[in-house]
Amino acid sequence: MKTLVLGLGNSILTDDAVGFAVVEEVRRRIDREDVTLSQASVGGLGLLELVVGYDRVIILDAIQTGLAAPGYIHRLTPDEFRGSLRAASSHDVSLTTALEIGRQLSKDLPKEIVIIAVEAADVESFGEELTPTVAATVPEVVELTLQELDR
Amino acid sequence: MKKISIDPITRLEGHGRIDIFLDEEGEVANAYLVIPELRGFEKFCQGRPVEELPRITARICGVCPEAHLMASAKACDAVYHVDPPPAGKKLRELFYSAFYVADHTTHFYILGAPDFVMGPDADPAVRNILGVIAKVGVETGGKVIEARARSLDIIKMLGARTVHPIGAIPGGMSKPLSAEERVDVEESARWMVDFAQFTIQLFNDLVLANKEYVDLILSDPYTLPTYYMGLVDDKNRVNFYDGLVRVVDPEGEELVKYAPAQYLDNVAERVEPWTYVKIPYLKKIGWKGFVGGKDSGVYQATPLSRLNAADGMATPLAQAEYERMYETLGGKPVHQTLATHWARIIELLYAAERLLELTMDPEITDRNVRTIPTETPTEGVGIVEAPRGTLTHHYVTDEQGLVTECNLIVGTTNNIAPMSISIRQAAQGLIKKGEVISEGLLNMVEMAFRAYDPCMSCATHALPGRMPLEVRILDSTGQLVERLSQGLA
Repeated sequence: MKTLVLGLGNSILTDDAVGFAVVEEVRRRIDREDVTLSQASVGGLGLLELVVGYDRVIILDAIQTGLAAPGYIHRLTPDEFRGSLRAASSHDVSLTTALEIGRQLSKDLPKEIVIIAVEAADVESFGEELTPTVAATVPEVVELTLQELDR
Repeated sequence: MKKISIDPITRLEGHGRIDIFLDEEGEVANAYLVIPELRGFEKFCQGRPVEELPRITARICGVCPEAHLMASAKACDAVYHVDPPPAGKKLRELFYSAFYVADHTTHFYILGAPDFVMGPDADPAVRNILGVIAKVGVETGGKVIEARARSLDIIKMLGARTVHPIGAIPGGMSKPLSAEERVDVEESARWMVDFAQFTIQLFNDLVLANKEYVDLILSDPYTLPTYYMGLVDDKNRVNFYDGLVRVVDPEGEELVKYAPAQYLDNVAERVEPWTYVKIPYLKKIGWKGFVGGKDSGVYQATPLSRLNAADGMATPLAQAEYERMYETLGGKPVHQTLATHWARIIELLYAAERLLELTMDPEITDRNVRTIPTETPTEGVGIVEAPRGTLTHHYVTDEQGLVTECNLIVGTTNNIAPMSISIRQAAQGLIKKGEVISEGLLNMVEMAFRAYDPCMSCATHALPGRMPLEVRILDSTGQLVERLSQGLA
């Protein structure tokens, strides 16, 4: 099974880099032919273009639901976002819509997409360091990702 | 308090906010578009080597990293007093033209087309790209994806990385284009010219052939005469990558044409209490408030503004379409905000044609793509046209080339004042005596600013579970009377 582990975010916006930090740590921990590790700063259609051709995708990202304290780890599927996921941009569609476009165009879409997202404290200040609360979650998110890969 | 939930604002993201203020009679007095500002950018850049800024500023935005990359590389050229060799400049423009094809395609089909293809008052459940695909056919959807894919291939070829490209560096480009690569780019460019013509035909059939839509485009709430800004070449034709910034008045007369280094003599930035984002206006005319017209320093910097500010397009098919637009809409300049959608696809055609021209240029595969900087760095300004407006990067360094000051005026920011006015005009027709006449009509307010293609979340890629945009209506005492928003699903 071809799996993509995709860190999403922005490396210079404080907690928005948490997905990247997790991917880097996962890269140190595993070396598997069936697993591709990647990082991107896209949403919507850009995301669709990245996931085509994989059987399974694990997305790692920051999230701000306002419903949980910073550092809370959410495990989500695209369905749970239906109608509310605003992936990334003023200039694109949501992940749900992008996947639906992919289906209509008969693209080779992943059978499974899992999103592991950390509730962020700050994604609006420029900075290359995670806030301490979010940084502290990285080892656990790495473990969750590895468990997800072995599932 | 009455709470109305409007349809998901699926085509303008970020966490922006529209505040509509009512007067004592409950009529719309003012409306503002509030864009959140990302904090600490200048501080983040200070002390860093200036040649890192193309890479850093390209990270500000996931939508138009290529625009920041270009403006930043040009600002670095100026800081180091270098002029890239011809092939370096041409490659940058080739790269940038490919980016424009993807960006304008995305806006037109995904953000603009739903209102016209499905109708402005269609059910939001179908008034989206999926509805458009269902109506115009899955082949069209396939073309949109293919246009993006081809564009990204070219960007990848020249920029090394797609999402945050790094190909442009101070003095030129990091690598030349090989003869084999050129063949691939040419093939894509030809495909893109066809695709752009197909898009214009689609616009003819779906929009211009429909009197209702043409009337909507020409209607008063969507008409806003202001000054118009755009980069032009030495023949006053639209150019996205290089040239002088030309500003014309609401009658189309040139006010000024300035080189990037003179931007501070021409554009001033105003601080308003309701936003952290500084609002640019024309210094020579002055700030007269949120009003259009010749006496107000408010200007627009959009695809339509670029066409208004220029004398024409530099490629033949785009020029023909340019002439047809002005003939159809009653001459130059055009003040109808919704005509920006038309202007955008004329630019799409121009970008594709320019891309093709550049691939056919014998110099494009020249190996000399960079002038190595040798002089002491000082200060520089770089300006390009981002798809959503004139983009200015201004850096000052010490003699080691470490950044001491850094100022950016990004595309969307230029248009905050005109967008606020457009929103107010649209809202005035829709809110009477403190009541929103029709919930469905709120899309008409959205249409007023969607035409500008604003980029609200110019940086953050966190999955924003919270409201992307809310509309607040406040009475004359500042009390919130209605909040039109979409909560979490």
